[in-house]
Amino acid sequence: MKVALTGNPNSGKTTLFNAITGRNEHVGNWAGVTIEKKEGEIKKSLHNGETPIFAVDLPGAYSMSPFTSEETITRDFVKKENPDVIINIVDATNLSRSLFFTTQLLELGIPVVVALNKSDINKKKDTVINTRALSQRLGCPVVETISVAASSNGLKELISAVVEVRGKKQQAPFDGSAVNMTDKTAVEASDKKRFEFVKDIVSEVEHRKVSSNRQTRQDAVDRIVAHKWLGIPIFAAVMWAVFSISQTFVGPYLADTLVGWIDGFYGWAEGMLGEGVSPVLSAILLDGIIGGVGAVVGFLPLIMALFFLLSLLEDCGYMARVAVVMDRFFKRVGLSGKSIIPMVIGTGCAIPGIMATRTIKNERQRRTTAMLTPFMPCGAKLPVIALFAGVFFEDSAWVGTSMYFVGIALIIVGALIVVRITGEQNAKSFFIMELPEYKFPSIKRAAVEMLSRAKSFIVKAGTIILLCNAAVQIMQTFNWKFQVVAEGAESTSILASIASPFALVLIPLGFGVWQLAAAAVTGFIAKENVVGTLAVVYSITNFIDTEELALVEGAADVAGLMGLTSVAALAYLMFNLFTPPCFAAIGAMNSEMENKKWLWGGIAFQLGTGYTIAFITYQVGTLLTTGTMGRGFLPGLTAVIAMISYVVYLMKKGEQKAAAKTALSV
Amino acid sequence: MSNIIVTIIILAIVTGAITKVVIEKRNGNKCIGCPHGKSCGSSCSCDDSGNE
Repeated sequence: MKVALTGNPNSGKTTLFNAITGRNEHVGNWAGVTIEKKEGEIKKSLHNGETPIFAVDLPGAYSMSPFTSEETITRDFVKKENPDVIINIVDATNLSRSLFFTTQLLELGIPVVVALNKSDINKKKDTVINTRALSQRLGCPVVETISVAASSNGLKELISAVVEVRGKKQQAPFDGSAVNMTDKTAVEASDKKRFEFVKDIVSEVEHRKVSSNRQTRQDAVDRIVAHKWLGIPIFAAVMWAVFSISQTFVGPYLADTLVGWIDGFYGWAEGMLGEGVSPVLSAILLDGIIGGVGAVVGFLPLIMALFFLLSLLEDCGYMARVAVVMDRFFKRVGLSGKSIIPMVIGTGCAIPGIMATRTIKNERQRRTTAMLTPFMPCGAKLPVIALFAGVFFEDSAWVGTSMYFVGIALIIVGALIVVRITGEQNAKSFFIMELPEYKFPSIKRAAVEMLSRAKSFIVKAGTIILLCNAAVQIMQTFNWKFQVVAEGAESTSILASIASPFALVLIPLGFGVWQLAAAAVTGFIAKENVVGTLAVVYSITNFIDTEELALVEGAADVAGLMGLTSVAALAYLMFNLFTPPCFAAIGAMNSEMENKKWLWGGIAFQLGTGYTIAFITYQVGTLLTTGTMGRGFLPGLTAVIAMISYVVYLMKKGEQKAAAKTALSV
Repeated sequence: MSNIIVTIIILAIVTGAITKVVIEKRNGNKCIGCPHGKSCGSSCSCDDSGNE
């Protein structure tokens, strides 16, 4: 038996799907989180369990006439895949809007059960819905549900109703199926009639104490939080607080304990190996595998704390307000207001962020957003940020916060450049986003999201990172004749000889040594590899305890260990954050852009941006701190000017194209 | 003898990691380390069924 879960965006479909299947799909307190269908078996405890029931979570849709690609997925599924029953999740706090879609679903001839979700919020607002009257008017069962509640959530009753209606006929209360969909006037007239029909039902079954046109406390908060100017400093303050808590207070405290255990394990393994084991094997196991993986895993508590806080922000409804604040800037640079959604999702992982761009209809806007989304620092980049913030800037929360704002600034500048290159600067875009109500965030949901991230992080550390670190250690141990590299002759190793040409190019950025170049290159496999490779090439297992780092170096200045000044460290951090993302994310870019020219152009743009921003940071920073320019200034400047000149040339060409278009239209 | 044991341990760890990567890929997880790696199948495999 197959059951389709449908409803308007942000009506709680995925939350309900997770509750009835026990799965852990990503949910968010805003519209457009689900962009693909997901399937899972409904828990046997919710029905008699004899016949397995499979639920399919579909993307949100406002009507059966799709406007976006994810609405098309929903329409196609319910029309072509013949589900046995449709559960229509209706947002009880927004009945009039939701029932439009319900009446369309009832026309399909598939039994429908309405799940009147978020009933708890209605109770708080003293809004009463007569479910019996609603059920009679619609001609289908209506069950009140609270999918976020652990008990008395109505889920058992919902599934019972699903089993009961299977195979039964239902009479559609409103029939607009005979309308010719190609006749726009007829469709509009039918929709108008349908709206009237829904309005009539709502006026009969719903009794509100608070009128929807009265300004509520939520509206008052929105006037400040989503204010066009105040919204930005508020966002900065919120992100600073998030980084302070996760990277300066809670995270390092927990990380110290974890790193202590990792160090203990390292010491135990070292003791077990003893003196008789070959130094090469010992180095691969201890420094490459245990040390390299341990250095990355050491950042796990910081990442968990950060994701927990970000999840709370998303769940309480704040992130949707950030989208509104950023919309005005994005629209001005030719992006869609919808572009902010992939970018916020991209703070977790760039891949689902890039995938979320498919909700953008305009091709240029979709491709531009896919190209610029990786500028938002993702979860994999957090260990790199945490490492440099901790080692070079005494855990300053401003490092992490400013990386997000530099990312946003690069997105805006990047979009401005792309819109001029494509010659579409006169294109207008509109963004309508339904703001979810503020609510107290679910600690459980945040904890589940945090643990899910933690599990994935550990799996990645134990697989991709481990293999890369082992390979790096082997390449560092041997030369091309496969002889063990002598102490002091590390620059003859396979790794050094591969990384050295890259290091030459990086001299103007302040980090032209093969170790740092090797770490940056392995970062393209997975960004956490930057930390792992640094741990292997410098033989450090503990990046959390900076005092210990100083002891390793035998000098008071920790920066000396990597031969970096603070300015060069910041430039290196930016280079790793703003150059192209990992290969998996590039694969996602390829899928969503569907155009090789855009893909390679995007990669070149990301590489050029990362190089330029690192160059400016290092050279300007060095000038300000020492009074002279840094090493390799002139060659670096030449490269940067060449890149900028080419971009300006492309922009000029785009302007000519735009002018030609305007002339044609006149 | 101790060198052989350590070599076996290293090989076991590396084989285990490779096996896990292969299993995850076969199960449709295109991007190990991403909690949503399994649900991005159609996107990462260039199946454009979700696109217009």
